[in-house]
This record gives sequence, C-alpha cells and structure tokens, in this order.
Amino acid sequence: MATIARNLRPYLRYIRNQRRTYADAATVSNEMKFTFAGANQVFYDQRVIKQVDVPSFSGSFGILPKHVPTLAVLKPGVVTVYEEDGSVKKVFVSSGTVTINENNSVQILAEEAHPLENLDGSAAREVLSKAQQQLSSATTEQDKAEAAIAVEVAEALVQALS
Amino acid sequence: MSAWRQAGLNYINYSQIAARVVRQALKADLRSEALKRDEVNVKFTQWKDGKPASKYIVFILFYLVVL
Repeated sequence: MATIARNLRPYLRYIRNQRRTYADAATVSNEMKFTFAGANQVFYDQRVIKQVDVPSFSGSFGILPKHVPTLAVLKPGVVTVYEEDGSVKKVFVSSGTVTINENNSVQILAEEAHPLENLDGSAAREVLSKAQQQLSSATTEQDKAEAAIAVEVAEALVQALS
Repeated sequence: MSAWRQAGLNYINYSQIAARVVRQALKADLRSEALKRDEVNVKFTQWKDGKPASKYIVFILFYLVVL
C-alpha cells in the first residue's frame, strides 16, 4: 500500500498542478479616457470624463466607463459631454465616427464640430429653407438625395438650437 | 436602406454635405474662416525621367455651394 502511494505521489502532484483557475483579468481602470476632435478643433485629448451622449445611425446612446467595445458612425446632432467636475458641454457634430475600445478609451472624430454657442439659429433656419427649396426643385435622383441630406442636417441644427 | 445610399451616395459624400451645412449655420464672425474648408486644392506635376516634366499645374477645385 505504501509503495503504491509513493509511486502515485508524483502523478498526483502533476495532476494537481494542472488544475485550471480563472486567469487574472487585466485590470481596467474605472476611468474613461475621452478624445474628441473635429477637423477644425480639438475639444478633448485623453481627458477623463463621466459620460458622453452620442447621436449615431444606430440610435443615440450614452457612454459610461466600461462600455462594451463599439464602432458607430455619427448622425448630425448634439454630443453631450459630462465632465468630471459636473459641468456639461454640448457640441454639434456634422458626421464622423465614434470608437469605444476595450481599454476604456473613447474617440469621437467629426468632420465638423462646433459648440452650440458658436452656431446661429437664424442662419440655421435660413439654410433649412434653402435646402427645402433645393429638394423640391431637384430633378435627378442624386440631386434629390443630396438635398435631402442637407434638409436632414439643417433640421437637426434647428432642433439643437431652439 | 437610407435614400441617399440608394441613390448611389456613400457616407463620405453624406459627411461632406453635412459638414458644409453646419459651416453655413455658424455665427457670421466664425463662418468666413470655416468656409475656407469648403475648398479643396490639388496640385499636379508630371514627372519624367526623374525630373518634373511640366510646369506646376494648379487645380483649385471649389466645391460650389450647392445651397
């Protein structure tokens, strides 16, 4: 009996060392590093923020720390940034992309991005009515589509500024 | 599928139109600077045997304001 136990011991030890445990998950900090830029201006560069709300073609959504990795294309609308100190910043974006990475960083890159206070409500309404005229007088399929985009964007602007 | 995609446009086209509309809605003092981004400048030079074969040909493409 003793001989058997002695002979088995190395094998048992081997089996015990094969035991599988949960891998140590890479530590992801609770802080969300946020980068936000337009072709005209950089708003945030790796700054820690609380939350950001984004309008996208797959719907408007809010991003909090530890959001699941996602890619989306931006829809014209207002990006709302909730900063660490509680202040809220609203920026209108024309279009672009939003990237949420596994490492808790978020990038928003827009073709044109302006704080709401830099936009003019009456100019937006003017652009909207021009775009609507353009749409009604458009003849080709492509002209119609282009005018319809302009109307959509102008409507978003007017809505954001009213 | 969205109408513009059906008409053969892609998101790059969409983005350009959207950006142009946003620029036009800027406050007057910021607008003139921003509207410069409506222009695209491309410069072509033909090269032959390692030397520029033609004088500079400058193409200035203005995106004529559609609206």
